[in-house]
Amino acid sequence: MPVRNPILQLDGFSFRFPESVEPTLRDISLAIHEKERVVITGPSGCGKSTLLYVLNRLYPHNCDGEVSGSVRLFGRSAQEYAPGEANRKIATVFQDPDSQFCMPTVEEELAFTLENLQVPREEMPQRIDQILHLTGLGSFRHGVIQTFSGGMKQRIATACALIMEPECLLLDEPLAHLDPLTAKEFVAWLSLLQQETGLAVVAVEHKLELWSSFFDREISLSENGAIQQDQAFTERGAPSLPKRVSAIRQEVLFEAVGISVSKASKALLQNISLPLRSGEVTVIAGPNGSGKSTLLKVLCGILKADKGTISGMRAGFVPQSPEQLFLSKSVEEELAYSGNPSPDTLHYLMKALDLKTIAHAHPFSVSHGQKRRVAIGAMLADGRQVLLLDEPTAGQDQQALAELYRQIESRAQDGCALAVVTHDMNFASSIADTVHLMKDGILSGPHQPEELFSNSALLAEYRLHMPKKGDIYAPAFA
Amino acid sequence: MRRLLHEMNPSMKFLAVTGCILALAFFFNPWTPLLFFSGVVLLQVLFSQTNWKLWSLAMLPFLIGAFGYFWTTLVFGQPGEGPVLWTIGTISITAQQWELAWSLSLRVLAFSSISLLFAFTTKPVHFIQSLMQQWKLSPKLAFSVLISYQFLPVFKTEFEQLQQAHRIRGTGAGSSPLKRLTALRRLLIPMLAGAVRKAERAAFAMEARAFTGEARSHYAEIKIGPKDYVLFCLFSLVLTLSCSAIFWA
Amino acid sequence: MLKGWKLKEIVLMSLFGVVFGIVYLLFLHIGNLWAGVIGPLAYEWMFGIWFIVSIISMYIIRKPGAALLPETLAAAIEVMLGNAVGPRLILSGIIQGLGAEAAFALTRYRHFQLGILMTAGAGAGVFSFIYGYFLSGYAALDPSFVALMFTLRVLSGAIIAGVGGKYIADSLLATGSLRGYAIAKAEKGDARA
Repeated sequence: MPVRNPILQLDGFSFRFPESVEPTLRDISLAIHEKERVVITGPSGCGKSTLLYVLNRLYPHNCDGEVSGSVRLFGRSAQEYAPGEANRKIATVFQDPDSQFCMPTVEEELAFTLENLQVPREEMPQRIDQILHLTGLGSFRHGVIQTFSGGMKQRIATACALIMEPECLLLDEPLAHLDPLTAKEFVAWLSLLQQETGLAVVAVEHKLELWSSFFDREISLSENGAIQQDQAFTERGAPSLPKRVSAIRQEVLFEAVGISVSKASKALLQNISLPLRSGEVTVIAGPNGSGKSTLLKVLCGILKADKGTISGMRAGFVPQSPEQLFLSKSVEEELAYSGNPSPDTLHYLMKALDLKTIAHAHPFSVSHGQKRRVAIGAMLADGRQVLLLDEPTAGQDQQALAELYRQIESRAQDGCALAVVTHDMNFASSIADTVHLMKDGILSGPHQPEELFSNSALLAEYRLHMPKKGDIYAPAFA
Repeated sequence: MRRLLHEMNPSMKFLAVTGCILALAFFFNPWTPLLFFSGVVLLQVLFSQTNWKLWSLAMLPFLIGAFGYFWTTLVFGQPGEGPVLWTIGTISITAQQWELAWSLSLRVLAFSSISLLFAFTTKPVHFIQSLMQQWKLSPKLAFSVLISYQFLPVFKTEFEQLQQAHRIRGTGAGSSPLKRLTALRRLLIPMLAGAVRKAERAAFAMEARAFTGEARSHYAEIKIGPKDYVLFCLFSLVLTLSCSAIFWA
Repeated sequence: MLKGWKLKEIVLMSLFGVVFGIVYLLFLHIGNLWAGVIGPLAYEWMFGIWFIVSIISMYIIRKPGAALLPETLAAAIEVMLGNAVGPRLILSGIIQGLGAEAAFALTRYRHFQLGILMTAGAGAGVFSFIYGYFLSGYAALDPSFVALMFTLRVLSGAIIAGVGGKYIADSLLATGSLRGYAIAKAEKGDARA
């Protein structure tokens, strides 16, 4: 095997944010080589993104962090680089597809990168042509970026990074906002690009099952920010959760019949009927833009239906970003905000949802999982025993998914009816009593999970993947 | 011809517009703003492709504002000299006051017309690029503004989602306008918190693509050519003609 | 002016400019309709609304220019949105921003208590009034009426912009999203220092 040169090298590197007492990264020593495909993993908050931002020199400058040890990029100490100099060789694609662009069209956005590099104007059209050809985005040259889907935006962001002709590409959870099929397509596309360009790729990621065998090597960080393991990458299946024992009862808590909604003479929802029983967990799945979110909003009364009736208990809604619901300055007030729950109810909910320790914290400042529990609590406190969860699995790591699973399980046991919109079929196959599929505003179902999840043709029709069971994710249930 | 104003160098256009506005502030006769208003509309008719329906809609609030100026100047203006034209109750209106009221309200229309001309014929991105290339506007500031501008549709979506989410919490449910306004107040903090998050992400994305704010090349070169000078002179001509009203009116 | 600013601070300031540009535009339309009925006095008591981004941005970022620039940008955004008073508004934005900036400059950007924020709001009011006096021809109005307008505007600047701006920025700080900006550091400092 030929000796490969290290391009990025950390030696005894530690990093501390000025506002925290403990260092975020401890004594990290690693070397990344040419053409390597490395993934950095670890529990959330372990500092893996921080590590990435050290490699592209966004840190320490941007956060006034305190560092010790050495960082060498392409054989030179990171401190010796002028601002922006290292970024020519080390490009980055970030997580949020909405916050990466500053120009209206793809062509202008590509040109922005070239302008930063002071590429002479005459050379620009040729470089833009080349990269559009390489990435297969030629037909989108004049497209307006903000009108594209998340998956498309991530490809454009990648093209904008590659036009610099870098030697290393850093990826900060690039799939977090994509549905599983789009994510897999992105990975396949990226893999071809990597083969053609010979880039080194370093990614921070927790959804390893989406990457099949893309990576050569995995560096995992432990919770305290030290390297736990640095070894060859092995392909995984999704972390699977145990099949839930159904808590379904006969009582129908909520029933929608014949719901239709149209906007500007376009039918968004067509004649949808959906009963939800006490203790039942219903999964609603389907491609983006099929009307799933609209359906949830109609069911809970945020949006009005043109036709159809809704009867039974009031439904509560938990958006993908639960903080969108928040109106008060502490978790406790948030639960008490609407519906005037009795002190007993409030006490019970705070305990059942494990919110006691953060009762006085600002609801915006707690973790994502806690935010969702606060949102669920607020809905239950308002007497909404029917819970509609919009994309709660998006961008969640294994631990978060396990927590979500337990949360749904306990609410179902309490007798709530739950409807969960998700793309994650592994999660769905573990949690669902009933599955409904949605496309173009039409709901099909109910499907029995066992039958549906072995019918790959039907799943493909709805842009869904077959659940692929890996090992039971034990730690969360230990 | 119909594209001339759209193709005019935005910095030059801005200079012309600002110059006109400052100059007009020195004139207190009704004819100057009226002539200027007509001149500007004429320029826009001849040298631009304007959606006049939209233009009228944009003009409407200013028309109402102008009316406000008109009658407050009559009621609260200094009496001034000259013959009293008529008396309503305790208020007597002199010829000078009458003229001034016309002047101030027409001024509102004159300002609005030239401002709308600028807004209707200038693409924001070109304006910023031109400021960067002609007036050495700091690229850091320029691209921060451009990126903010790209966020407008994102903000709009977020705004709607927040509004919907808050509806289920029972705010803004009462449909009285006052209640709706106080419900809007609750959206501000979440919107700003989102803006803070996006600011950091956007800045990181720019820096990661080697943006430093230092010297750069330009893909879209925005130049100043002969036709920009001609148009500038046209604006000056309209201004001069309008201002000359003090000699004959 | 932007020396010593981090890019994320500049982008944040611009985004505030955008958000408040929209807010300003909303109130401009409300104010315009109102002014049609009540006359220019209708604007005066709510004038502080149009100074508020200066106060919020400076209180959070605490660097020279943090009051002037976002105010100018908010005005520019109103113009870019296509249906505003136009470039004239950019000028008034600059003038208002300068008024607020002046108050902070006098303290050499070292103090950001409520009193200073209110002074800055009032300063924006004074500056904008002088500009309006010139541009809208207040000279033609009755002096006592002008004095009333002036008082209302300065008070509005101090209260709506000064007190209101601090309230908004403090609420934002409480959400925990301002970590890494001067306002959060002033509160906590280096955790180990």
